[in-house]
Amino acid sequence: MIRRLGLPAVLIGVWWLLSAGSTSFFWPPLSVIARTFPATWTLDPILHDVLPSLARLALGYTIALLAGVTLGVAIGSSATLRACCEPALEFFRAIPPPVLIPVIALFAGYTGWTSKIITIALGCLWPILLNTVDGVRAVDEVLRDTARSYRFGRLAVLRHVVLRGAAPRIVTGARQALSLGVILMVISEMFGADRGLGAAVVQFQRGFAIPQMWTGIILLGLLGVALSALFHLAERRLFAWRSDS
Amino acid sequence: MTTVLSVDALAKTYRSPGRTVEAVRDLTFDIGRGEFVCVVGPSGAGKTTLLRCIAGLMPGTGGSIHLDGTAVTAPPAGMAVVFQEYGRSLFPWLTVRRNVELPLAEKGVPRPARRARVDEALDAVGLSDSGNAHPWQLSGGMQQRVAIARAIAYEPSVLLMDEPFAAVDAQTRAELEDLIRALWHRLGITVLFVTHDIDESVYLGQRVLVLSRSPTEILADLPIDLPAARDQLTTRASPRFTALRAQVYTLIQRAKAGER
Ligand SMILES: Nc1ncnc2c1ncn2[C@@H]1O[C@H](COP(=O)(O)OP(=O)(O)OP(=O)(O)O)[C@@H](O)[C@H]1O
Ligand SMILES: [Mg+2]
Repeated sequence: MIRRLGLPAVLIGVWWLLSAGSTSFFWPPLSVIARTFPATWTLDPILHDVLPSLARLALGYTIALLAGVTLGVAIGSSATLRACCEPALEFFRAIPPPVLIPVIALFAGYTGWTSKIITIALGCLWPILLNTVDGVRAVDEVLRDTARSYRFGRLAVLRHVVLRGAAPRIVTGARQALSLGVILMVISEMFGADRGLGAAVVQFQRGFAIPQMWTGIILLGLLGVALSALFHLAERRLFAWRSDS
Repeated sequence: MTTVLSVDALAKTYRSPGRTVEAVRDLTFDIGRGEFVCVVGPSGAGKTTLLRCIAGLMPGTGGSIHLDGTAVTAPPAGMAVVFQEYGRSLFPWLTVRRNVELPLAEKGVPRPARRARVDEALDAVGLSDSGNAHPWQLSGGMQQRVAIARAIAYEPSVLLMDEPFAAVDAQTRAELEDLIRALWHRLGITVLFVTHDIDESVYLGQRVLVLSRSPTEILADLPIDLPAARDQLTTRASPRFTALRAQVYTLIQRAKAGER
């Protein structure tokens, strides 16, 4: 724990020292930013900016996870399907998700939740989908034969062989998707003048509320850390069998 | 003796773009209920191919296989397979107990009966203490015993084994050989045992099928007329064992030379 917190503590210390007494408008002292933090992130912005953003992230991410794993299992299990889909998948994967925002907005509007959730879901889909396809393909042939020779049903094969076997790759994809999701959560709010964590940061910046803007960036960073910790916890539970019991 | 497994003119040619391998050309043999039959043949003779066809994991390209009079087109009920790559056939994320138990659960055996059968099987292979370990925590020989325990807990009427002891040390191998014979005796199951070890084939079985080199046919079907009670020391030292071994050895040499 101490080792994990060591570097961040040092970085904060360095930032604190270097920025102390800074008179630059864009680089306010960290002490000022820290003082601004509680005043900026009161109950109202938490309820109306932070939580809605997180809810959209959760929704978009969940949709991507469900769709990515379902499609990934289907494509990974069928050579025919793979042959049809692979070129298309490669094409869509190569498109940076932010590019799609205007297109999505065209159909779903700029301001509502829908376009933002679609943006997040679509962006998160690819790493999950492609990793799941690879994971399913890599499931040991002998293990499949074992399940077949013991006459496992389709559902049992899916549950005990395919999903468990592909789990490491699915988790890898899910982790990549999570960081992508946070980024898209912010970006998706930058276009529509709406509320949200990302929108708030942009508005602070446009209104030259620089310390406030910095608190928003720090909050985003903390959010990333919290989500990754949560992910780590889930991962530990899922792969408990690998460590000594 | 009633016929339980009947292989009739089985042929298997692997076809992939640009490559055609005629692995098995013409195999015909019957196995009676409760028999212990060993299959030997040079490496690449198609032993695994034969076993996979019998297990219903792969269709032949010619001929037919019948189990209890029914054509095998998919993995049949009442059959268990111990694979050559036993380590890879265990579910790494399940404990030893769960590995043995899962096929029973999928078969619909109620929980209390399942428990008893898992305990019994693990006990039979000497792994009662390792039930809560994961496969990767066990040695190769122990992993192989888990695969065997899983197969016997399933209570198959036919047990197929593909070079199951190829990767374990000599000591473990001798123990596992005796274990399999004891289980076969006790459970009255039919065993088809693939090996490339000549001594093993003579020691274990009541019959040895010698396969020719690929494309495979049966070179010899040799009855092993050793007494039923076998022992690693006395059986292997007996003149009859030596004679049979020499016979199989000669046959294998002829098989390798391409005779059919
Ligand atoms: N999936 C496959 N595709 C193409 N050819 C194959 C395939 N599996 C096996 N063969 C070929 O069929 C022949 C028989 O292979 P098989 O694995 O049945 O031999 P084996 O007797 O089990 O050998 P070993 O003793 O080394 O295990 C070999 O020539 C092999 O190259
Ligand atoms: Mg083989």
